[in-house]
Amino acid sequence: MKRHLILEDGTVFEGLGFGAHATTFGEIIFHTAMTGYQEIITDPIYDGQMIVFAMPVIGAAGIHAEAYESVKPAIRGMIVHDLAEVSVNRQRRMNLDRFLKQHNIPGLYQVDTRKLIRHLRETGPQKATIVDFADDHAVDQLVATVLTNKQVQNTATLKPYANPGRGRHIVVIDFGLKHGILRMLGDYDANVSVLPYTTSVDEVLTLDPDGIILSTGPGDPRSLPDSVLTLIRVLQTKAPLLGIGLGHELFALANDATLAPLSSEHHGMNHPIQEIISRQIFFAMQGQGYAVDNDSIDRKKLFVTYRDLVDGAVQGLRHREYPAFSVQFFPDAAPGPLEATAVFADFFETVEDYVEHHS
Amino acid sequence: MSNITANNVLFIGAGANDFGREAEYDAAIYQVMPELRGHGVNVYLIDENPYSLSLESLAATAIWKPLTVENIKAVIKQYQIDTVLPLFGGERALRLWSQTVQAWSHGDGPVPQTLGLTIDMLLRVNNVAVLTSMMADAGLPVITNHVAKAQEDANELLREIKLPLMVRALHPNQANTRQIVERLDEFETAVKSAKSQSMTQEIVISRAINGMKEISLEVLRDFRGNKMQIGASEDMDPIGIHTADSLSVSPTLTLSDQILEKMRFYAFQVADLLELRGVLHVQFAVDDLTNAIYIIKISPYIDQMASRMALVTGYPVMLVAINLAMGVALEEIVLSHDFGKKMAMMEPMMDHVTVKLPIFPFGELEQAGVSVNRQLNSIQKSVGSTIGFGRTFIEALEKAIRSAHFNNASFSPTNMSHSSDDALIQQLIHPEDNRVLLLVEAIKRGYEIDELAELTNIDEFFFYQLRHLLKLELEVEQQVESVEALRRAKKYGLSDGLLARFWRTNFKNIATLAHENHIEPTFKALEPSAGEFPENARQYYSTYEEENESLPVSEDTVLVIGSGAFRMGDAAAGGYATTIVLSELRRLQYHTVIMNNNASDATLLQNLADKQYLEPLEISDVMKVVALEKPIAIIVPGNRRKLIDALADLKQNVLILPKEKHVPNGPDDTETEFALNVFSDGHNIYPINITQHMTGELRIVPEIAQLPIQLAQTHLENPGVYQVIWYQDTSEWVKHVDVPDISHDTWLRPMPFGQMAFMSKVMQVQWLRMTVRALLARMTSQDSELLTNVNKLTLQADVAMIASDINYALHLQPTQMIDGTRFEIGVGIKYDEQIKI
Amino acid sequence: MANKEVLDNASLQRALTRITYEIIERNKGGEDLVLVGIKTRGEFLAHRIADRLEQLEGVRIPVMAIDITNFRDDIPDHHDDLGLNQAERLNISEKNIVLIDDVLFTGRTIRAALDALIHIGRPKTIALAVLVDRGHRELPIRADFVGKNIPTAQNEKIKVFVQEIDGKDAVEIVH
Repeated sequence: MKRHLILEDGTVFEGLGFGAHATTFGEIIFHTAMTGYQEIITDPIYDGQMIVFAMPVIGAAGIHAEAYESVKPAIRGMIVHDLAEVSVNRQRRMNLDRFLKQHNIPGLYQVDTRKLIRHLRETGPQKATIVDFADDHAVDQLVATVLTNKQVQNTATLKPYANPGRGRHIVVIDFGLKHGILRMLGDYDANVSVLPYTTSVDEVLTLDPDGIILSTGPGDPRSLPDSVLTLIRVLQTKAPLLGIGLGHELFALANDATLAPLSSEHHGMNHPIQEIISRQIFFAMQGQGYAVDNDSIDRKKLFVTYRDLVDGAVQGLRHREYPAFSVQFFPDAAPGPLEATAVFADFFETVEDYVEHHS
Repeated sequence: MSNITANNVLFIGAGANDFGREAEYDAAIYQVMPELRGHGVNVYLIDENPYSLSLESLAATAIWKPLTVENIKAVIKQYQIDTVLPLFGGERALRLWSQTVQAWSHGDGPVPQTLGLTIDMLLRVNNVAVLTSMMADAGLPVITNHVAKAQEDANELLREIKLPLMVRALHPNQANTRQIVERLDEFETAVKSAKSQSMTQEIVISRAINGMKEISLEVLRDFRGNKMQIGASEDMDPIGIHTADSLSVSPTLTLSDQILEKMRFYAFQVADLLELRGVLHVQFAVDDLTNAIYIIKISPYIDQMASRMALVTGYPVMLVAINLAMGVALEEIVLSHDFGKKMAMMEPMMDHVTVKLPIFPFGELEQAGVSVNRQLNSIQKSVGSTIGFGRTFIEALEKAIRSAHFNNASFSPTNMSHSSDDALIQQLIHPEDNRVLLLVEAIKRGYEIDELAELTNIDEFFFYQLRHLLKLELEVEQQVESVEALRRAKKYGLSDGLLARFWRTNFKNIATLAHENHIEPTFKALEPSAGEFPENARQYYSTYEEENESLPVSEDTVLVIGSGAFRMGDAAAGGYATTIVLSELRRLQYHTVIMNNNASDATLLQNLADKQYLEPLEISDVMKVVALEKPIAIIVPGNRRKLIDALADLKQNVLILPKEKHVPNGPDDTETEFALNVFSDGHNIYPINITQHMTGELRIVPEIAQLPIQLAQTHLENPGVYQVIWYQDTSEWVKHVDVPDISHDTWLRPMPFGQMAFMSKVMQVQWLRMTVRALLARMTSQDSELLTNVNKLTLQADVAMIASDINYALHLQPTQMIDGTRFEIGVGIKYDEQIKI
Repeated sequence: MANKEVLDNASLQRALTRITYEIIERNKGGEDLVLVGIKTRGEFLAHRIADRLEQLEGVRIPVMAIDITNFRDDIPDHHDDLGLNQAERLNISEKNIVLIDDVLFTGRTIRAALDALIHIGRPKTIALAVLVDRGHRELPIRADFVGKNIPTAQNEKIKVFVQEIDGKDAVEIVH
């Protein structure tokens, strides 16, 4: 049936509904990745957001057990141009339409997504809603709606849990962890403890970690309590530390850098990222609304290790004194180019080195 | 900033057109030669193809000679070539350069450096066995061939490789048949039969990949080892059907990110292994059930995939490739203002769907009474392809079909309904050229999608799409003149013509109905950022959505209608003609807009026209562009009679490039065809020369041509080059021939584009450019002077145009001889040995 | 039997990158840092690390190469020739030296290098970076920065390939 997408600035787009017949509110962003829609819509970093896909045909690859980034989708809505119908059978046990229905998330298709994206690239992200009728009432309601800034609280674990392995002991501080990180740790047979971000220093250190990961997560890192930054300041001196996505932003904040929202958010996997030390260029999944302000970096504490060659944005930092580093992009390659997974290889080599020198 | 020192760089061209060798190489060379000159080097090109555009480029010193090792060596010596670029001339140039290097002797001086690939790698690339084992050693998933002689060894391999297997003879004594063994009880027989076909009683066993998905990736690598993916495409048809003969979709639609990332990783590893500085096409087989991936072919050079990816993504593949070859790092490539500043190093993203549809020559051959084997298999049968652009698969497919089959009666849905169920099943298993229609017919008859998917090894996605299309068509057909139906139909790319047929009216009424209800096409820019960045796009395709991005180019625009896909006959020269027309229009300072749908020639190069529309070329498509651009003139090739009439009917200013509907037959073995070639500027007729055409060869008769009085008094209103044709029973090359009276034994026809290309090169007179000037009444006094004396120019009778050696038997298995003129695919040249070049 | 690759090109680059990062960690600010490469491959590795430091910090750290053939105690009649002329000999007094070699084995090469360094100046500190530590030490010497620990048997040989002279970057066990 005909449904509508309304943006906060009053722009209305018409389309056909799929997924759940629900009315939702969220912040709308666009994504240029051509593959990995299932990973993207289940990635907790998109908690509370609506995603417009530039890729015009979505759904043909079905929904697969191995492509979940969390057990349920985090998004509030999905806007696509063409929804591909696929059957549900032995190979494809679930399809996109059914999946969204199950999780009560609305989708909209047959939308002029290129027009919408060209519009959003000018306005930046804004509030949006998917409704049946685009009347004044709906617009008023959208304007009046206050979106939550508690996305981390929504998605991160409240209780510690383990993902046991026989290798090095890695503590993951969870800010809205995606499965890809656990999958990568599994590849190294790491013995993983996932802890809530409210964990105390002592709780972490009692576990005697060989390495620490600050996970990815949704939203604005500045909305988190200062205790998180204190935690990071101590942990970075105790064991090799890797911050990813939101974890990178927190690592920067903990070391006195500041963040600035990007004028246009960047969600995709086609920007060249350069490893400054080797000048090598590679590509990775990126999803960021904020970037570390280059000028705010205290060069006595941190130095920049990776940069986005398109907009120059900081994509990685490293501490001058400790084996602590961070990346803005997603090195778990779920979805995204595999070359980025070298970051995990770096991390585990650092962990080995650390264990070697401290045993 | 290049890290290569080079002074004189030689391109080796691709030579005559053939199956799998259209004009993509020539287009690539044409595009990159000026870029290379920008690096401060002297550019040279050797090619033999009379239809080559590059040979007429001012950016290089062109050497028009047959492509042989001797000629390449001679050119290297004569021009002090220090650097050779074989990667733009396809497989043939690569092989030629390898042979040249291997034939290099001490006295020849230092071997010129090779750009892009080291000589060592070049030699490996040319040796499949070496290449395969190199990849296998590096841990890459290649299909390895195992040789066995004894049955026991074969049995061991059976356990090792597992079913299904492919068994074939090593050193076969005749045509090699491949047998697919799917059941254990078939194995022994297959081994026996393969052994009997082998001269050494040895067999080759490998894993069978028939029926798997075929996927292509295009990647690039710079000298620092930076790598990037340009694009990917998936064939609808499974492995077993040659990729050129497959319907192919880009971007890939049915593959998961995980599979594609794995392929990307492998492709990068291959690029590293080859230490490539350039672009690489890797073909993969994917087993959908197990997710196993195999590398089946690698092409570390420009090929059809490279040119297709350039067109469908908007990424300047060729310009980047030449920079990579010159040792410029990816991040330091500076593109012209036509392209985004950081475009070279951003992976292109697509927000549109493209469908490539192969063009088969079966219909035309049938009309001429030649029947061929129409069954698609691992040997290429298609001669060209078109691309449809849209925002959905169906829209892109509809546009591709419309581009490919605008006058093909055999590609009609009504034909299908007559075949029996048995015939249908047989054709599903052994597909022919019309398989898309067949799949629709099968759905229509109620076959279940999973049955069909299993029978054909085609992904279910495509059946769902076709079922959707079928449903749409049936609904639309019933809702005569419904605005809602019209809106839906347009969204999925159904043409005004098709709707007119459904509703038993003509396309003008459909267009009017759409217009009255504000159902208007919106043109979307084709650019590689998928909307992320403001673009400076020149390429557009139509769809029916909300926002139109295309604004009229100017008030003095000339619209040029391209010649579409390559077909047998004159079409290989069609792309040449279109490109020259565009170039001349620009020289005359018109703004130009081109409509075309062929990725394999130069017509759609971004800098050749002010705007490109990637569209089918039916009247309704053309009129939509006309409505927006309001051109002052539309240039159409003369063989598009229906389009010309329809445009004239709509009061458009149509300028016709004279061309016959079909390429005329060539002379048979017993006769000679003579042609008196003349130029008409619309007022007067000027003699040019006389040509003699015997089977497979055409030469200029070394005498000054005069105009018969009758002809001098005739008026040929449409400017162009024409021929008066007559036949004689001669089997010798003549030095003189009497032009007969213009009578019922002679006839007048436009000179085929191919001969115009040849004649322009031989005479150094640009006949197509002259024609364009005449069409637009822009002839100069120099032109008139030239025309008055053109028959007295030194006659170059030493160079002949020869039909190239096309292996019709291998590709088409025709029941009788194919007329190489009427169904020409490629031509070359030959110099008369007595006369010094 | 074919050689076994234990570090491929990408891992070798990563190892050098990590060593560089660790050098930064231990030498805050990089002041008074001098890289000393042991000829032949250590010298190339030293330059690679200097390149990396320059990419990050925009400063070129001095690199010196030393030939310690003449300092080895297992070579009879050794004498004190570093194989350097005066121009190549850097002032290393009061500097923080990172000594760089490709493979750490018995430790005798390093001992010789230490002798050589002390012979020409009085460094403030000397640290050791090696691409590969293969074990079997005969002297109390330990590397501060290790690219990769590769446990080996005595009878095996480790070969480090570098682009500059070998045409590729890799580490292989040679049989």
